[in-house]
Formats: sequence, C-alpha cells, structure tokens
Amino acid sequence: MGNALKIFRKEIKEVLINRSIWLPILAISLMFSILFPAAITILIEDMVKDPDATGFIAKIFQTTENIETAMLDFIIRQFMVFLLLIPAMLPSLIAPASIVLEKENNTLEPLLATPVSTGQLLLGKTLTSMVPSFIISLTDFILITIVVDTIAWIKFNIIPLPTWEWFVVTFILSPAISFIITMLSLIISSKSTDIRSAQGIGAVIIFPIYAVIGMQIAGLFLLDVKFIIIACAVLIGICPVLLKIAVKTFDRENILTRWKFK
Amino acid sequence: MIIAENLTKKFNNFTAVDNVSFEIRQGQIFGFLGPNGAGKTTTIRMLSTLIKPTSGKIIVDGQDSTKSPEYIRSIIGILTETPGMYEKISAYENLNYFSGFYNIDAVKRKSNIEKFMKFFELWDRKDDAVKTFSKGMKQKLALARALIHEPKILFLDEPTAALDPESAYSVRSFIENIKNDIKTTVFLCTHNLEEASNLSDIVCIIKSRIITISTLEKLQAGKGSRKVEMVLKSGAEKIKKIIDDFENISVLKQESENKFLLSVENPEKSNPSLLKKLTENSVEVIYLNEIKTSLEEIYLDLIKN
Repeated sequence: MGNALKIFRKEIKEVLINRSIWLPILAISLMFSILFPAAITILIEDMVKDPDATGFIAKIFQTTENIETAMLDFIIRQFMVFLLLIPAMLPSLIAPASIVLEKENNTLEPLLATPVSTGQLLLGKTLTSMVPSFIISLTDFILITIVVDTIAWIKFNIIPLPTWEWFVVTFILSPAISFIITMLSLIISSKSTDIRSAQGIGAVIIFPIYAVIGMQIAGLFLLDVKFIIIACAVLIGICPVLLKIAVKTFDRENILTRWKFK
Repeated sequence: MIIAENLTKKFNNFTAVDNVSFEIRQGQIFGFLGPNGAGKTTTIRMLSTLIKPTSGKIIVDGQDSTKSPEYIRSIIGILTETPGMYEKISAYENLNYFSGFYNIDAVKRKSNIEKFMKFFELWDRKDDAVKTFSKGMKQKLALARALIHEPKILFLDEPTAALDPESAYSVRSFIENIKNDIKTTVFLCTHNLEEASNLSDIVCIIKSRIITISTLEKLQAGKGSRKVEMVLKSGAEKIKKIIDDFENISVLKQESENKFLLSVENPEKSNPSLLKKLTENSVEVIYLNEIKTSLEEIYLDLIKN
C-alpha cells in the first residue's frame, strides 16, 4: 500500500497542475449543480400545470396527491443519476491519460523497472482518478442539496434533501463506479495497440451510465431503494475481482513495445 | 551474476533476439555492442524483467527472472536509451520519488541523493523543475536515478550520449570506479567503441544473434595477421628483399622513406626473428611496434561479414 500511496501523492500533484483534464468537468458539474437544479426546481410550479407532465409523474409514482412533491422527487432522482456521471467521466479520462503520459515522457520504463508491483501501480493510479472525482461528486452533492432545499423551502415549504439514497449514491455507489471505470479503462487501454485508441477508451466505457440516465428520463425505470441496494452489492462485489483481473491483464510489454508516438 | 541461456525474443514474425547465451560474473563490465536494431535494448529489457523472453532462461543473482521479477528489479539500476523524468517536479523530488520504491532507509536515501547530485554537479539545481534542465543534465540526473539505491547490477544504455566531453569523462571514470570499489556488475550498451574498449572486461557483439563474445585482447589476438609499425634509421632500401624471406610477413604500406606498416602473423614469435634478420643486414631499427587492432576495426569487420 505504501508504494501505491507514493504513486498517488506524486500523481495527484501533477493532475492538479494539469487543469485541462479536470477543470472542464468541474465547470460543467458546477453549472449542473447550481443552475440546472435551481431552474428546474423553480419551474416545478409551472410543470404541475401541464396535464401531460402530471399524468407522467402520477403514472410513475402511482399517486395523484402532492404532485409538486412527487415532481420534485422525480427531478431529484435525475440529479442523483447525474451524480453518477462525474465519477464515471473523470476517471475514464485520467486513468488511461496517466499511462499515456508516462509513456510519452519516457518515465514508464524506469518506473516499471523499480520493484513496484503492477497491483501497487494500478492502485496508485486508481486513487489518483478516484479522489478528484469523489471531491467533485461531494461538491455537487452539497451544492445541489443547498440549491434545491433553499428553493423548495421557499416555494413549497419542504426540505427534500438529503435523502439516505443520496448518501449511499455519493459515498458508496459513486466511488465504486469510479473504481470500476478506472480499472476497466486501465485494462482495455493497456491492451490497445496504439496511443490514440488507449486515450479514446474513456468515451466508450461510460456508455452504461448514459443508458441509465436515458432510461430514467424516459420513465422506463426509477433509481429507487431496490435498485440502489442491488447496485451497491453488485458493484462492491465486482471491485476486488476487477482489481485482480486488472493486475493479471495489465500488459507491460504491449505498452513498452507497441505503443508508438507518431 | 547474470546468466542468459538460449534467449530468444520474437515480436509477431520478427525475431529481435535469436538464441543468445552469455554469462556475466559479479564485478565485470560487459560491453554489449551492435548496430541499430540488433536487439540490444530488447535484451536489456528482458534481463531487467521489463519484458518476457519468447524462450530461454535468465538467472540474475541466482533468481529466475520469470519467478522473482520483483527481487531482480530491487537489485538493478537501469539507465534506458531515452530516459525520462517527471518534468514538472524538481530534480530532488524525482530522485526521492524513484528511490522511495527501494528498500533503503530515508537517511541513507537522502545522503545518496545528495552524494550523486553533487557528483554530477546538479546539487545547485536540486529544487528546479526538470523541464528547465538541458539534455545533458537530464541524462546525468537519469544516471543518478539508476545509482541512488546502490544496485548490484547496473544496466546502462548509452550512458554518455548527450554529455559534454568533461561529463562523459567523469561518467566513464565513475563506471570504472564502481567496478573496482563496489563490485557492481555493469551491463554497458554503447555505440562509443572507444568507451567500450576502455571500460569493458568482456565485449559482446550482437546482430540479433551473438557474433562474438570475448575479451578485447583475445579479439585483437585472434584477427590472424596483425599490424606492426617499423621505423628505421637507415637501410630502408633493403627491406623488401629481407621481408620476402619471411612467409608470414608482408609490407602493407611504406608510409614514408623510413616508416613501414607490416602485416605480421603472430608478432610475438615473428618480431624477434625479423629484428635479428634486420640487424644481420645492417638495417638500423628505431622501433618495431605492434599497432593493436582497434575495437572499431574489429567491430566493423565482424558486422560487415
């Protein structure tokens, strides 16, 4: 673990210096954490006047009472899924990029020539991906809570957040997703035969998250207690397995000998 | 210290290293030479457990490279062909980071970093970001990185490339000193044949396969006819007739009126006989001296053929 922390400490410094990776995501997430929730929460008053909208909500929640509360509940669940997007996006950019950068700067070979094991290397790089995304997720969580609660209290006299699902999503589900996305990115990128495909892995890996967002917006399913518990159990169970697979399949030789820069 | 047995490395259909075997004893400097693409870097990568051989066996310090790669990596230092550093952090932080992965205590690590940075005249720039360093300074820093943890085996791929003459000289002296003082085994890849001939105990020339592996002395001795320079005071006009009597000596070139370059088989035996004959014929000899075939000549001849 010591070596993994050494790698993490060095790398997090470099990630923080390399603003081009995390600053756009931070900017987008702040916008979504403040402007979007504020606008939507304010607009609920108008949305409940639309019979199509209220019918849609009534169908999902199987109720016609307290339609503003139900509408707010539905909106909050959309934000909750959004909280899953950041911990998926950022690691899928950072993880393969860190390996690519090491190769580009010719530091990978001397690093692999030290006694650092593959597991320690991957763990160190995973922490480097997970910690910034967790911090951004947590920031989003706090901002959305403040914005929605403030407006909901003023408008409807309710304080909807945080719910226990929000805590579980922020502190358990999001980190688990971060870990899994990082591991998958590292596995697939190390097997890539060139730099560009290694870097492009991130765009593909997070498709399942987009699918979840799309399905919820379409009303096909709702991120509820049952789903969250099952997701936590499955994803946490996958994490150690994925780490083992990542260690076994991390292809040092492919990266050292086949990755070429044009 | 290092045993390579029938080492082969193939990349798809291309054989980079073909059935290479050698043994390097502790404390030796092993000069590993070959043209570009000969398999030198691939061999270093296999020996340092960065990549696995397609077939063959590697034993380093008694350990099989496929079974104990982490142990082997803990006792080696490597200077790669194009060494990189983390450019945004300082020279000191770079050395501290890499040396932190080895089993040396913090006090010793700190003292070694200072020792090697001072030796390579980098101590004054220890807190500067590496991106501000020249190519030569980065090369020296990379060499320091390979040495910080006092490895048992040092893999050096072009250690004096990009260095100015003074730095190259100090690095070469350093390599000789570590061999004598600390009994570190050095695996030296270099295109600088003079450097290889001055430093190496054993010279190995490779072009996918091993072409030759021997001491420099044996390589020079084994070349068949050798060159002998002869400078006379008088009697130059008699030389052709005298040399004709010797089956194993011929005149390669008359460089000036009294200076001759001869081709002599086994000079140890032939030179005294020649000197005696010259004296008998009243030829006054200033000196008769073998010109050792340079490693460059040996190398070029072997690679060409």
